[in-house]
Parts: sequence; C-alpha cells; structure tokens
Amino acid sequence: MSLIRGRGLGLEIHLAGWEFDAAVNELTARLGERSDFYRGTSARVVLGEEPLSDEQVEALRAVLSSAGIELRAVEPAPDGAELARRRAMRPKRELKLSDAARSLVADFDGARADIAERRKRGEASVRRTNANAAAAAASAALQVAPPPPPGTLYHVGTLRGGQALHHAGNIVVVGDVNPGTELVATGDIVVFGRLLGVAHAGAQGDNDAKVYALQLHATQLRIASVIAVDEEHARSASEPEVAFVRDGRIAIAPFSKAAEVAG
Amino acid sequence: MHQHILRQAQDDSGVEIAPAPKLGRAIVVTSGKGGVGKTTTTANLGTALAQRGARVALIDADVGLRNLDIVLGLESRVKYHLLDVLEDKVTLDEALVRDKHSETLVLLAAAQSREKDEVDTEKMRALVQGLRERYDYVLIDCPAGIELGFKNAIVGADEAIVVCTPEVSAVRDVDRVVGLLGNRFKPQLIINRLRPQLVKKGKMLSVEDVNAILRLPLLGVIADEPEIIITTNRGEPLALRHDGETASAYHAIAARVAGEDVPAPSPEFKESLMDKLGSIFGGKRA
Amino acid sequence: MAGRRIVITSGKGGVGKTTTTANLGAALAKRGSRVVLVDADIGLRNLDLVLGLEKRIVFDLVEVVEGRCQLRQALIKDKRFESLAILPAAQTRDKDAITESQFESVIAEAAQNADYVLIDCPAGIEGGFRNAVAGAKEAIVVTTPEVSAIRDADRVVGKLNDRALPIRLIVNRLRPEMVRTGDMLSVEDVCEILAVELVGVIPEDPEVIDTTNRGEPIVLDPAARLGIIYEKIARRLEGEMVPFTSFDSQGFFGKLFGALKAG
Repeated sequence: MSLIRGRGLGLEIHLAGWEFDAAVNELTARLGERSDFYRGTSARVVLGEEPLSDEQVEALRAVLSSAGIELRAVEPAPDGAELARRRAMRPKRELKLSDAARSLVADFDGARADIAERRKRGEASVRRTNANAAAAAASAALQVAPPPPPGTLYHVGTLRGGQALHHAGNIVVVGDVNPGTELVATGDIVVFGRLLGVAHAGAQGDNDAKVYALQLHATQLRIASVIAVDEEHARSASEPEVAFVRDGRIAIAPFSKAAEVAG
Repeated sequence: MHQHILRQAQDDSGVEIAPAPKLGRAIVVTSGKGGVGKTTTTANLGTALAQRGARVALIDADVGLRNLDIVLGLESRVKYHLLDVLEDKVTLDEALVRDKHSETLVLLAAAQSREKDEVDTEKMRALVQGLRERYDYVLIDCPAGIELGFKNAIVGADEAIVVCTPEVSAVRDVDRVVGLLGNRFKPQLIINRLRPQLVKKGKMLSVEDVNAILRLPLLGVIADEPEIIITTNRGEPLALRHDGETASAYHAIAARVAGEDVPAPSPEFKESLMDKLGSIFGGKRA
Repeated sequence: MAGRRIVITSGKGGVGKTTTTANLGAALAKRGSRVVLVDADIGLRNLDLVLGLEKRIVFDLVEVVEGRCQLRQALIKDKRFESLAILPAAQTRDKDAITESQFESVIAEAAQNADYVLIDCPAGIEGGFRNAVAGAKEAIVVTTPEVSAIRDADRVVGKLNDRALPIRLIVNRLRPEMVRTGDMLSVEDVCEILAVELVGVIPEDPEVIDTTNRGEPIVLDPAARLGIIYEKIARRLEGEMVPFTSFDSQGFFGKLFGALKAG
C-alpha cells in the first residue's frame, strides 16, 4: 500500500503494512525529493494495526514539519462505511445513509462496551476538536478555511421530513431541520438554522455531547441515553441555544451563556 | 401559375425557417398525502391551460384507483388505458380520450383492475417523452403515497407541483415528498382547501404556517368550496367557468405556470396571506 | 383470549382513516377496553401527530421488526386514556422495510395483551396496504360519499374479500345538506354500491381538522357531537345494536331543519 496519498486539501499517510521506522525513512525520502511541493499543506496519519506512542507521533510530526506540512490528526484505519462518510463530508444535497450507523441509535449496550474499550486504550471516547493555535495560524497564512475537524459531517441545505443523517462524529447542518427528520451523531450536533426534528448527540454514550441550534425547537432531544421532550409548546427560542446533560437530565441554555455551562 | 410561384419565392425570401417545435413541459402533480386535491388540481389546471389554447395531455398514473376520468366526466369514453399503451396492445392515439369541453385537452386514463407494479418504468418515461413532443403540457396525476406508484409517476417529469392542505399531517407528508423529489423538479406549491374564516379564528393553519415548513414558491391558494365536490362528482371542472373565486384561482395558476407575472390573489386572502408572501409568488419578486 | 385485529383502510387517501383510527381507538379505551393502535404508514406516519404523541416516540414499528427493541418499549401509552397505547411507524424508512409476515407477527404479539388492535392503513393498494391487511382479521373501510372515494373503496372491498376478511363500513364527512340537494350520494346509495355492513356515519365537522392539528382527539370532548358518534361506533363494534341517527331526512338539524325547509 502506498504510504502517501493526496486527498483534497491535504495528504494522508497510510501506515498499514509499514514498519514504523521504515515508514519514517520512506516519508523523509519522498518529501525530500520534492522539498517545497507540499509546503503549506496539512496531513493526516492513518494507522495500521498498531497504535503509535507519543514519541513516534512526534517523530512523524517533525518529518512533516521540516517539509512545511502540518500534522493535523492521527486516526485509526477507517472501514468501508467510514470511507464513504468521509467522501460525504463535502457539502452536498443528496443524502446517503450508512447502514452501519443506523445501529447507533439503539445499541446502548454495545456503545458502553465500546467506550470501555477505548478508555482502556487511552483514547477519548469520541473524537473531538481541540482548538489548535498552530492550525489557525497556518490556515490564516494560506488564507484558506481549515477543513472541518476529522469525523464531522457537514451538510448545507434544509433537511426535510423522512430524511436522516447518521454519523460517527459530529454533524453540522447549515439550513433547517424540518419535523420528521432525524440527526444521530456520536459527537455534537450543530444546526445553523431551525432544529425542528429529532436530534441525538453523543449517540454512543457520550454525555458531554451537545446540541446547538439557532432555533432549538426539536421535537425530541437525546444526548447519550438521556431523552428529553419539551412538553410546553410555548418554547419560543429567539436566540441560539445549546442543549447539554446536567445531573442526568437535558438542560438548555442560551448560547451566549454557554461558556458558563458544563463541558 | 408561373407568376404565382415567383411571387411566393419573393415572399419567402425574408422568411426564417421555423424553429424545431419545443418540447412540452412534463409536470407531475403530487403530495404524498391523499385527499388533498391532486386529481382535482390536475383536472382544473389542465382545463385552464387548455382554455388558454395550450395543447395539454393529462395522464392518470394512479393505476388501480383511477379517478381523473371521473373528475373530467370522461369515464364512459375511456376504452383503453395506460397499461394497454405501455404493453403495446393499442397505440397512444387509440387510448387518448379527447375532453368533452376543451378541444386541446386529452386524457390517458389509468387502468382500474391492474396493479401499480405492472408499470414498466422505462416505458413510462418513454411515453411521457413521446407526449411532450406533441403537447405543450403533460400533467401527470400522481397517486398518494411514496411507493412504486409515486416513483413511476415522477419518472419522465421534470417539474413538480405539490398540493398541500392546511393541516399538520398534510404538511409533513408533503415535506417528505419534496425531500424525495429534490431540487431537480423545481417543486412549486398549491395550497388547497383553505378556509380563511377558520384561519382567522386560529382553527386552521395559515398559508404562512404551511410555507414556514415547506419553503416553496407559491403557485396559488384555493379556498374550500362545496362547489368543488359538486363539480368533481359531475365531471365538470370548475376551471371551465370564468367567474367565481375558485375558477379564477385556477386560471391565475395556469397563467403563472405559463410564465406570466400574476399578482397575489384577491383581497379575501389577504387575511391569511401576509403581504411579504406576495413576493414569493412564482416570478414576482418584491 | 387474544384481542381483535382490525385494519382501518379506504383506498382513497384523505377520507379519514387516521382520524377514525385515533378516535375509535380512544372511544374503545374510554369504555374500558385495552387498545393498541398501530400506524402502518411507514414513511408518512401521521397517527402519532393526530394523537399529539410525536414527541414521545423513541422506538418505532420498524425497529421492533428488526429486533432492535421489544414491542413494549416501542409502545407509547397515551396518558389521557387508561388503556390506550400506540405503536408509531418509522418516518425515515420506506414501506419495503418490513414484510407482510413480519408485520403480522408484531400485530399478533400486540393482540396478546390487548382487547383491540387497530391498524391505521396507508392510502392506496400497494405494498403498505398489503402489509397492513396482513396483520388483520377484520376490516373497517372508510369512505366519503364522493364518487372517487367510493370507487376506490370498492376496489379495496374486492381485495379484502379475496382475503375473506369480514368488512364493515364507515361513511365519513357526510354533508346532509348536499345529500338533500342531490349533490352528494346518500348513505343508502353508498351502502348499496359497496354492499358492506354499515357501522358508522360521521358528518362533516370543521372542528375535526383543528383537533387533529393540535393532537387532541375529538373524543376527549364529552360535548362534541362527533365524540358521541365515535362512541356509538365503538359500541356497535362491541356488538351492541345502536340505532343510527337519520341524516338523510330530518336528521341532524332536527327542528332547525324543519324550520329551514319551511323557510
């Protein structure tokens, strides 16, 4: 399998089938051949069977950085469904459901086992974005918007009844989410528009997941295994709000106060 | 004779060759929800367009539950139906029924004792395409639901008119259908069976309520009138008349479909239409 | 003994199947029966809306069929009635998500703990209709006194006869004044055409739309005339001989009509 692949705005370094040291040498050599070609781009490392130690990640980062490439992420190898979802990350109007992701909705037991497993491996239970100053500076230099954080499904357009987005990662919708629509994410959900359907964030058990919307009028909100229904119809959200779990229940706060709330 | 030919040659010298005839428009009338008025709309819109001189073909795609022929009063004239044509048992011309009232309107009826899964999708597409070559408008009356009948009705169409009543269930179903149609069909909305008095009392959704969810360009709004049931039972579409609110509404819709800039409907509806909606009537941007 | 399994169908859409299922079910529950309502209109679900239970949907029919939850987890108890529960349809799926025999199994299971299982059938006579009917042992056909509706009902009666299901008829949205002027078929005409046992006649009532929009079945209002009518239908279903109000002559408007006629 080739080590380096170009992918959209950046590079992917695929370590599957490579001994780590051999990979580093190969990477150094290849990048050395065309020293300035990749300058200013970003890269993701896709792991093979073995996870990497911190020193190993640093080594990779150093090699990349000496060619002017910024290491953005290190990820486990995606399965076919994930690959399909990555390709779906470009804004588009056609929706594709992932069959694997459908089971996210009801598989709480499986979810808990999965979280335990990840914790054993020392990983966060959900891939999250961390504000990265270097990334911000680099992208400012390029004057190009940084690509969405890994694992985010970004959809532009209104979602209509009967449509669903299920994603292992975060979901961002720029548009309305009509009633009868379903958003299920293992991470956060952000709706830059009206959220009228059902939103389920932290679908694999992440209680820290949140739901944001310009108008949060969801038919039903779910975060991890907590479900909330807004019985009073008189909720008239006129400002952006965020929903989160506190004390085992879902709470909603105005976004402007979000900094004061948990998480 | 010789002189005559010469003269004609002179006359012809400046004449351009007529352009190839334009392909007609194929519009599916759909909703998801049953009973909102798809068939009545198809019949009346078709009639209104024909009254303006357009050549119109109507197709009833509700195989097994055919109704368009009844609404047009043509049930006794139907000899052959859609499946007979698709299965090459008869030609299209043998099956098309000329309307009783409008010269340039024809109907291809659905079969009553057959099933929707007997329709061959590709043949349906070809049929619609063939009709487009001969007619200015091909309107397809879509069955309720989103199953195979719906899928076969939209094939071959490249525009859609969605019909919705001011009820929550209808709005949800229509939203689903619009989602399934996608942008390709450029769906436009007709709101049917509105009762402005009930809207005023807060006992019915307003046009704005409906379009707050659907967000579609509005072709027209039709009030609920007992006349409509009477005329459909009798097989005389209201659009045959030129007086009366409903008839005028259908004529206005036909004009908008034909691309004319028709201002928002009569003052009666201003109560249920906020002024800003006037700007989303097809073609007219405030 | 297992409960009765009745499909509410029509062929023509928009004649009042869902409203009838909801209100008849509520009327039966009010009279003490254990009632389960099942929405078989996958992809175009409305029964939950009409009962105002949309916000409480967690699992649906398809998830029960796919074994991702138990039937009892999916049933939503209507808090307004002692013994009424609904099994909602899925909104983001299609009718080919389940087979006839799968649906039949679910209905059979529901019937074990209920006196009545009412199945809200989708419009049409396609797969959704076939699934809905597969679960039933009896049928109620709803029609309006309009030519198109009756023709569709006739087709449906034919199909139900093929399956040897006992059929009863409800004539809905009757407008006695239009019957009098000859602009609408009379109940007798309808019965003669369809040749099916009549179990209910429901007049047109502009209030009904508002109740379905708000999710408050009209049966909740003890004064509503339609509520009384649904209750009569429930009693007839239970085997009681309840006389019909005569709409075609004096009927509904009683003395008032007499006065109008004279005027």
